[in-house]
Amino acid sequence: MDVIEHPPIFRLPGIPDHVTYTWVVMIVLTAVAFLASRNVQLVPRGTQNFMEVILEQFQQLIDDVMGPEGRRYLPFIATLGLFILAGNLVGLIPGFAGPTANLNTTAACAVIVFVAYHYIGVRKQGALTYLAHFTGPVPLALKPLMFVIEIISHLARPLSLTLRLFGNMVGGHILLAIIFFLMGLQGLIGWALSGSIGGAVVGGVGGIVMIAFTVGFLYPLKMLVSLLQAFIFVMLTMLYISGAIEEADHGHGAEHGHGSGHH
Amino acid sequence: MRRSLMVAAMAVLAAPGLAFAQTAAAAPGDARGWIGPYAVLVAGFAMAFAAGLCGLGQGRAVAAAVDAMARQPGAAARIQTAMIIGLALIESLAIYVLVVAMILLFVQPIK
Repeated sequence: MDVIEHPPIFRLPGIPDHVTYTWVVMIVLTAVAFLASRNVQLVPRGTQNFMEVILEQFQQLIDDVMGPEGRRYLPFIATLGLFILAGNLVGLIPGFAGPTANLNTTAACAVIVFVAYHYIGVRKQGALTYLAHFTGPVPLALKPLMFVIEIISHLARPLSLTLRLFGNMVGGHILLAIIFFLMGLQGLIGWALSGSIGGAVVGGVGGIVMIAFTVGFLYPLKMLVSLLQAFIFVMLTMLYISGAIEEADHGHGAEHGHGSGHH
Repeated sequence: MRRSLMVAAMAVLAAPGLAFAQTAAAAPGDARGWIGPYAVLVAGFAMAFAAGLCGLGQGRAVAAAVDAMARQPGAAARIQTAMIIGLALIESLAIYVLVVAMILLFVQPIK
């Protein structure tokens, strides 16, 4: 990766870049949260207003997906979402490194989600009931097979969460780097500064076209991908949590529906 | 026609190995194996296949979702949410291939 990616401008010696920029994101988020809640008023203004709008979006999403049960998990989900969104967007600032473009950060987030939704499920239903629902609504003879399949599918969840976020972020960075190499910004600028008229025309126009393409098309695309990936991560987290909570009702409902349909 | 295409494809696939055999003969002390050039080829082809098939799958999903949204504009928001989740799940398959390609290119576990 070092071949194509320039190291970030600000680095702490002996500390990996993604950890440094995770701290940057943490400081920014903490500062914004502090500013918003320092002087809470009934009629919000300024930072408090801004943060309330964002949190209301999260609340709306949770109400839509998980129902009223999900309000308890708003702090967890909103923190995760804001961290991932800020981490994605920090990676877009030139000279900064994106914490989510590193496998360690995304794996940490995914493992937190994995542990959290199992913990919530066990807390909600008790360990045995929760384990029993891994077998699903199938005949008794098929239950061991179903159990193994479900375990594998649950283990694949953190893997896919990790790789999806990581791959999308790194893919965007590689795309940007390759476009720069492909169009040869350095060569074009060198031509533009070479002094000859032809060089100035070709290099200047080429450089401007390339910068316009990057700023006008690739950066908005990457911002969209950042928002979308944060949204998808949060969405899947909510689906996993609501699956862990509601599995009891769902399983019985499916069995009942099947039985009545058979009659 | 098809036979000559196959021969050409085989020649292209064999070229990195041959090219590397020549450089290996020039520098016998080099510890690197012959997998490196193939890894580059495989990474590119794998990403091409994955992107193409992922595009087909996502196209089908989006077509169905847009069709449903046009029939039921009231349910557009929920259909859109479901569509985005489905697209993410489809896309993660292509992302796996991207990760494998990046491992082949940058980490190079097998030399």
